[in-house]
Amino acid sequence: MTKRTVLYVSHNHPRVRPGGAEAYALELYEAMRESGRFEPLLLARSGKPISKIGRYHEGTLLTGVDGDPNQYFFYSEYSDFDWFLGTTRNREVITRHFADFLAAYRPEVVHFQHTLFIGYEAIRAVRNGLPESAIVYTLHEFLPICHRQGQMLRVGSEEPCSHESPRRCHECFPDIAPQEFFMRKRFIQSHLDLVDRFVAPSRFLRDRYVDWGIPADKIVVEDYGRLPVREGAQPGEPPNRNRIAFFGQLSHYKGIAVLLQAMKRLVERGVDVRLSIHGANLELQPQEFLDEFDSLLGAIEEHVTFAGAYSAEDLPALLARTDYVVVPSIWWENSPLVIQEAFLHRRPVICSDIGGMAEKVADGTNGLHFRAGDPDSLADVVESAVCTPGLWKRLHDGIEGVHPMDEHVERLSELYEDLLERRQGERAGRQATTLGAVPGAVVE
Amino acid sequence: MSAPPPPRQGFEVRSGAWLAADVLLAVVEFDLRHATDMSVPAMIDGSPVPTEARSAWLSRSEDDGAGRALFAVRASPPGSSRIELTFGSGPTTALPGPASAGTLKVDLRTLVREHLARLDARTRTRITTFLLEFSDAIGSRVDPLGLSESLTLMRDALRDPHPRIGPGSEGPTALRIDELVRVDERFFFVRGWTHDEQAPIVRLSAVSPEGSRVELLEHMARVPRPDTDRLFPLSGPESRGFVCSLPLDAPSRLTRGWIFELENAAGSVVEVEAPEPIDGIHAARGAIVSTLERERSPLSPVTEHVLPAVARLQERLAAMVEIEHVARFGEAPRSPDVSIVIPLYKRIDLLQHQLAQFASDPELSEAELIYVLDSPELSASALAESERLFELYRVPFRIATLSQNGGFAVANNRGASLATGRLLLLLNSDVLPAGSGWLSGLAGLHDATPRVGALGPKLLFEDDTLQHAGLYFRRSVALGAWENAHYFKGLHHTLPAANVPRPVPAVTAACLLIDRALYSELDGLRAVYIQGDYEDSDLCLRLGQAGYENWYRPEIALYHLEGRSYATAERQDNARYNAWLQTSLWGERIERLMSDEPGYEAGIMAADRT
Repeated sequence: MTKRTVLYVSHNHPRVRPGGAEAYALELYEAMRESGRFEPLLLARSGKPISKIGRYHEGTLLTGVDGDPNQYFFYSEYSDFDWFLGTTRNREVITRHFADFLAAYRPEVVHFQHTLFIGYEAIRAVRNGLPESAIVYTLHEFLPICHRQGQMLRVGSEEPCSHESPRRCHECFPDIAPQEFFMRKRFIQSHLDLVDRFVAPSRFLRDRYVDWGIPADKIVVEDYGRLPVREGAQPGEPPNRNRIAFFGQLSHYKGIAVLLQAMKRLVERGVDVRLSIHGANLELQPQEFLDEFDSLLGAIEEHVTFAGAYSAEDLPALLARTDYVVVPSIWWENSPLVIQEAFLHRRPVICSDIGGMAEKVADGTNGLHFRAGDPDSLADVVESAVCTPGLWKRLHDGIEGVHPMDEHVERLSELYEDLLERRQGERAGRQATTLGAVPGAVVE
Repeated sequence: MSAPPPPRQGFEVRSGAWLAADVLLAVVEFDLRHATDMSVPAMIDGSPVPTEARSAWLSRSEDDGAGRALFAVRASPPGSSRIELTFGSGPTTALPGPASAGTLKVDLRTLVREHLARLDARTRTRITTFLLEFSDAIGSRVDPLGLSESLTLMRDALRDPHPRIGPGSEGPTALRIDELVRVDERFFFVRGWTHDEQAPIVRLSAVSPEGSRVELLEHMARVPRPDTDRLFPLSGPESRGFVCSLPLDAPSRLTRGWIFELENAAGSVVEVEAPEPIDGIHAARGAIVSTLERERSPLSPVTEHVLPAVARLQERLAAMVEIEHVARFGEAPRSPDVSIVIPLYKRIDLLQHQLAQFASDPELSEAELIYVLDSPELSASALAESERLFELYRVPFRIATLSQNGGFAVANNRGASLATGRLLLLLNSDVLPAGSGWLSGLAGLHDATPRVGALGPKLLFEDDTLQHAGLYFRRSVALGAWENAHYFKGLHHTLPAANVPRPVPAVTAACLLIDRALYSELDGLRAVYIQGDYEDSDLCLRLGQAGYENWYRPEIALYHLEGRSYATAERQDNARYNAWLQTSLWGERIERLMSDEPGYEAGIMAADRT
């Protein structure tokens, strides 16, 4: 029997632009190939705004990826993408190009890592073209729920949002009528209804989607799997555990302003602490954010190192010079990959006390929580972290391993097989029903 | 000028000219002793052709048996070089046809000057009347504009001209035509004002370019024109303004040449030239409906002029709209029980939302789904979009594109004309189902209800409050008319009173199920209302009159994502027109209905709370 195929659909390829979820998608693809359980395919959407270049072959949206016959770039026009509904206005992207790709490979399993820049209709195209296939969809953030880039962060107050409703969404976006939000939700859900199983990397994320209307039994909580660290960051024995660091996208949502304000307070209090900021994509941020960033940074320049972008290979070295990793996001987060990175290198994490961060970091065991969005609280927690003798060691020892990729691949493979078996069972059931309905058949 | 020689053999054509490419005007001399038959057979280029003719005496003398008559003859086909006419039993007269070089014998201007202009006033009036009758009954097949132009020429030659006045004129009499509106060829509408400091006005006449006259003074509606007060500081406030509908006895097609005449008791007559009529259905409708702005009651005299004018416009609009094209996506169900008609206006993006929901309900693939595109300008994109949407959602449907925007009633009626189902569901494009099974549910409720007319389900806003739980009529003091209102609008859908199935005065056409034969019997929705308002209540009132009951059924609920409509001045005018038209058509019946309606008080209270 030939190996069954799983198609991974991603909204970006890490070779084009780094990003946590896309890096994970590629690692999963490679690990699945390694495991031999399923034959993996990777279809990574590309084009603007992720990449500088767009489609360059006439008559197809596909190009190959560095000679790997199982990986493709899939170019859809960014200008055709409807951010509100999460669809592409040029439906031929789905009905022709994506459908043709499916027809060529007929994968038994289609596992969406994302439908961003492609469209939720891609799910329906799978169901139409491959009625017997299993459809899996990994939820990374809250894009289907929240029009604000899936952040669930209230516009204006910048408080994390507990739940959507057409009225509440209209409050965040007064120019968009509540009826439009209602239609948006119904529209997106009509496509997500066709998914057999969702994968949520955190319980918190799962709960938000259950609140939103996805049946709880359709979502499995399964954290991102991580490849083993080849070279751990050696802690060394510095006199003070006073080096804190931020890793990640430099965006408003990540709580950079909270961190810088907390640093200012710590400096004012005379606490001996150093902050390194390792962040990418500053150039993509709005001017307002850049201005705030500059003015906050200016006040405490001597105590902060702004190191700019980094790559995965740099991490061991960077973490070797870090005592605590700070994750000050003001939105819920899901299962932040930076927390996994920190734990892989056995660094305690100081994080906001909400959402996926609070779930993944146990306060007082392998890290510390502070009140989300509150610079005073963060300053207090950092002060106690760097000034309490023995605390770093205790938290360091409290870190357990992160979810290993081989286990993750095993779990996903079991999920795929289970879903395919159910599909087969259903088909057999349908056939039996048809037979039973033959006139004159005796049913005992 | 010497007397013409007597006619040979009883008839002689003295002069002839073409009124239009296919209409001949001839002055014919008779010897009454020979002339018995007034028919006019004609040969064109040697072949007999059908003619239609009218004649009028210009003069006749029993003493010497001489008579003179004016003949207007339409002979087709035109474009011929030679026409032979036989007047009665007289000899055939050969005349150059309209296509031959030069004009026939004399041009029309000469004919009028030599034979008609010097006749007495009564005869001249009679000639004008004769020409209008001809234009009304026969007219020109191929050149109606040419006929109109000829009639204007004749009107000006036969009419006694009066001093022309204009905005800058001195004198005791002022007459201003603010707007002349063309409803159709035979119906105009005018708004203006008059003032006479010399003597009371005894006559105000409209004269169409073709010569039709309408006397306004007796039946026009006077309206205040405070804006003119400063022009006449010495006279007190009076109703100088007027509006008036102008039904014509013959079609009028020209944009220039309308004249209004005003005569006062001192015998002074003045005239003004009216501005070019406002044409185009939407512009005309807007101009007429806006005259209601100052009115406070549907019983006002202005209404009597506005309602028939707008109703005529709406009918004209409706008659112009045809299904231009029908595109089918997917295989139609073979014998659908229910046909669903959904007008699409402007927001074709709603199609994807409905289809995405319909896709999960197998019943919708069994129904006959007919979208009616009432924004024909979006046709190309709608069809391209539909093709992709069908590939994705696989619910079969048709899209009928209308030749032009026709409004809610027309769109539904045209859609219904394609329907083959036993039942007809009128559905708005912003209605989304709450789940599956609703369609058969509605049909089942319909079939279980004896004498059912229209049946409407519960409709919800996006926050699960009530958008529709039946319609009733509410007396608006401000409007002085019955307005449509929704029971319990804005209250939570679990409200017990809103969950009682019951007959109601009316249900909304946003989602209305009716027996298709019954719908056809009543000719569907009436197009006399403007902008998708009141067509449903009007249908329900007609159903009630015919002995049917309209039912609200809360067992089935759908979402109606009715948007907020912005209260533009035009919308307010239209709403007033609709309410007044409905009240003038149905006032008594509504009064009776509402006094019997047990939920009336509750409805009022609920509506007032929201």
